[in-house]
Amino acid sequence: MKRLVTSLIVGGGLALGATAALAEYPERTINMLVPFGAGGGTDVPARFFASEMEQILGQNIVISNVDGAGGTIGATQLSQADADGYNLGFMPVGTTTTQPHLKRTSYNADSWTPICMVSQGPFYLVVAEDSAIQSIEDYVARANGDGVKFAGAGPGSMAHVAQLTVDNALGVTTRYIPTRGGGDIATEINGGRADATAWFADFGTRFGWRALAILSDQRSDAHPDVPTMAELGHDAQVSVWFGFFTQAGTPDEIVATLSNACAQAVATDSFQENMAGANRLIRYMGTEEFGPFFREAYELNGQLLEEAGLVQ
Amino acid sequence: MENIALALEEFARPAVLLALVVGSVWGTVAGALPGIGTVAALIVALPFTFGMSTEASIGLFMGIYVSSVYGGSISAILINTPGTPQSAATVLDGYPMAKAGKADLAIGWATLASLVGGVFSLIVLIVAAPILARVSIAFGPAAIFAIIVFALTCIAWVSTGSTIKGLLAGMIGLFLTTIGPDDLTGYTRFDFGQPALMGGLSLIPVLIGIFALSEVFHRAAFYFAAKAPDVTNVGFRMPPRREVLVRVPQFLRASIIGTFVGILPGTGATAATFVSYSELRRTSPRSDNFGKGEPDGLIASEASNNAVTGGALIPTLALGIPGDGGTVVLLGVLTIQGLTPGFDLAQNNPHILTGAFLLILIANLIMFGLGVLGARIFARILSMPEPVLMAFILVFSIVGAFVVRGNHVDILICAIAGVAGVILRFAKYPVAPIVIGMALGATFEGKLRQGLISADGNVVEFLSDPIALSILGATFLFVLVSLVRLLSKGADSA
Repeated sequence: MKRLVTSLIVGGGLALGATAALAEYPERTINMLVPFGAGGGTDVPARFFASEMEQILGQNIVISNVDGAGGTIGATQLSQADADGYNLGFMPVGTTTTQPHLKRTSYNADSWTPICMVSQGPFYLVVAEDSAIQSIEDYVARANGDGVKFAGAGPGSMAHVAQLTVDNALGVTTRYIPTRGGGDIATEINGGRADATAWFADFGTRFGWRALAILSDQRSDAHPDVPTMAELGHDAQVSVWFGFFTQAGTPDEIVATLSNACAQAVATDSFQENMAGANRLIRYMGTEEFGPFFREAYELNGQLLEEAGLVQ
Repeated sequence: MENIALALEEFARPAVLLALVVGSVWGTVAGALPGIGTVAALIVALPFTFGMSTEASIGLFMGIYVSSVYGGSISAILINTPGTPQSAATVLDGYPMAKAGKADLAIGWATLASLVGGVFSLIVLIVAAPILARVSIAFGPAAIFAIIVFALTCIAWVSTGSTIKGLLAGMIGLFLTTIGPDDLTGYTRFDFGQPALMGGLSLIPVLIGIFALSEVFHRAAFYFAAKAPDVTNVGFRMPPRREVLVRVPQFLRASIIGTFVGILPGTGATAATFVSYSELRRTSPRSDNFGKGEPDGLIASEASNNAVTGGALIPTLALGIPGDGGTVVLLGVLTIQGLTPGFDLAQNNPHILTGAFLLILIANLIMFGLGVLGARIFARILSMPEPVLMAFILVFSIVGAFVVRGNHVDILICAIAGVAGVILRFAKYPVAPIVIGMALGATFEGKLRQGLISADGNVVEFLSDPIALSILGATFLFVLVSLVRLLSKGADSA
C-alpha cells in the first residue's frame, strides 16, 4: 500500500513536472537572427534589445548574423526554421516588406508572426551643408530645372522608396543614383556629385548635412526646427522600422510570452539609454497593432515598387 | 596639448592597455589562423564590448585590427597559406624564402615591414586626416574606377609563370563577383535558381578554399609520394641593417601606396598589396628576383597592408565613411558605445581620436613584440606531425568560411574552391590573380555603372573627371612601356 502511494505520488509528480516543462517557455537558449552584418545598422539595436530580453526571459539569447542580399538570405533561413519560439528574428522594414516584392524570395507576408515593433526612425530629406538648395521650394525648382540627383542604396532600397514617395508628393521627377549603400552615399553627397538623399536623425552629427524636411507626420525632438512634409503641404511619410518576428504558426502562448517580454524590454532604462546613445529612436508597437501595420506596409510598398517598375 | 592630456587621462589606464594587449594577441592568432581574418576576429570580439568602457573597447578593437593584418603573414610565409586576404601577396615571396631555409628572416622582414607601414600611416592619419578626408571624397566613381583599372593591370606583374594564365585567372576572379545580387538593379544574376548562390560569393570562403584547402589537398596527395617542403629555421631574425637601409625607398613606396589606397573607400587592403607589389616589382633594382624570395616582395605586401589600417581610419573617423570591412565593424562598436564617428566626433571629442591614435601606435609596437616572442611558438606549431597540422588548418578553414556571413552554404563554396584550387595548381595557373579579381570586381563594376547612371549613360561625361583621366592615362603609359620593354627584350634574345 505504502509502495503504491509512493509510486502514485512520484508518478503524479512526474506528470506535473512534464506539463510544467511544456508550459515553461523558454527552457533553453534562444537563437536571434539578424539578417545583416555584425556592428551594422540592424545589428546594433538588435544587440541592445537581445540583452534586455535575456534578462526578462531568463535564457541566453545568441545573435547570429546571416548577411547577404538585402537580408533575404537570413530571412529565408529564419522562415524555414521550426516555429517553436527558439528561432526568432530582428528584421528591418526592407527585408520584410520590400525585398519579397523585388526578389523571388520563398517567404512573404504570410510567413511571419510579427511580435512587436522595437524601433522606428523617420527619414529626413537631406542635402550637403553648402548646397544651394535651402528649402523644399528650391528642391522643386532644381528638380524642374537642372535636375536633382538623389543618391541611395540599390534600387528598391528604403532610400529609393523615399525618393519615389517624395517625387510623388512634390510632383517632380528626380534621378536616382544607386550606390552600394552607406558610405558610398555620403561620398557622393559630400563630393558634390549627388544633390540629396534620405537619411536618419544622425545626418548632422555624422556627415554634417542639412535637412529640408522630415518624412513623418510629426516633428522630431532630435531636430525640432526641421518641418514635416505635411506642414509644407505635401504628404510624404517614410521611415525605417525594426521589428521582432517569429514564424507563422508559432503557438499562441509563446507569442504571448514574447510579446509581454518585448513590452518590458523596450521600457527598461538601460535599453532607452543605449538607444539614445546610438542615436536610435524607440518605437514600440504591440502584437495587436504591429500585425495589421506590417501587412499594410507590405501591400503599400509592393504597390509603390510595382508602379516604379521594379517588381520582377 | 590639453587634448593629449585628456586623452592620456582617459586612455592610459590598466584596463584599456589590457584590452589592447588581449586584442593584439587575439588579432595575431586569428590573423595567422587560415580562415579567420580581420573581420571575423572583430565580430567574435564584438559582444564583449558591451560590458566594457568606451576606451577599453576602442583598445580591444585597435589591437585586433592592427595585428590581425600582420598575423596573416605568418601562415603565408610558413605554410604557403595567407591567413587573411590582405596577406595573399605575401605568399609570393614569403614562402619561397621560407623554403630556402630563411623562414626566420622572412618573418623578420614581414614584421619590420608591418611596423613601418603601420606607423607611417598612423603619422599620416594624425597629421593630415582632415585634409586627406577631403581628398577621399573628391574621388568619384570615375576616379575609383580608373584606380581599379590600374590595379587590374597588376595581375600581369604578380603572375608567376605564364602571363596569359594569370590574366585568365584574373578573369575568373572578376566573373565570380558577378554571381549573386546586382547592387545596382537589385536583380540576382547567375544563381541558376539556387538559393545558395542568391547572396553571391564572398571573397573569404573562396580565398580559404583556393589557398588553405587546396594546400591541404595538395599535401595530402603527395604525402606518401614526396617529402613535404622543408621549412626550417623558423623563428625571428632581424634583417641585417645594411639590407634594410638599401630598401628604404621600397618601405616608403609600399607605405605610401597602402595609406593612399586605404583612404579611398571601397578599395581595401588586398588591392593595396597587389598594387604595391607590382609597383615595387616594376621599380625595384632587384626586380628579377621577385617571386623567388626577394625581401622587396615581402615589404611590398606587408608594409602596404598595415599602412591601409591608418589610411582606412581616415574617412572612418573623420567622415563616418568606413574605409574597409574592418572599419565597418569598428563603426558599429563606436555606435554601441554611444559615439557617432564622423563630423561630430572630430569636432567635439577630439581627445577620443587622439586616444585612439595612441592606442594604434602602442598596438603596432605590441604587434612587433608578438612577432619576436611568438616566433618560438610558430616553430613549435610547425613541428607538429604534418597530418595533424593539416587537420587543424582544415578545421579552421571550415570555421572561417562559415563565420564571415554565418551562412552554411559558404562551407560548400569553400570546399568547391579548394578542389578548383588543386586543379589550377596542377595546371600551373597562378591563383593570386583570382583573389585580385574577386577583391576588385564588385567595386570595378559598381563604380563604372554608378558613374554611367549619374552621367545619364554619357561615356564622355563619365570620363570628364580630371583625376580619372590622369590615372587612366598613366595606366595606359605603364602598359605601353611594359609592352615595348617586353618586345625589345624578345628582340634582343632572338
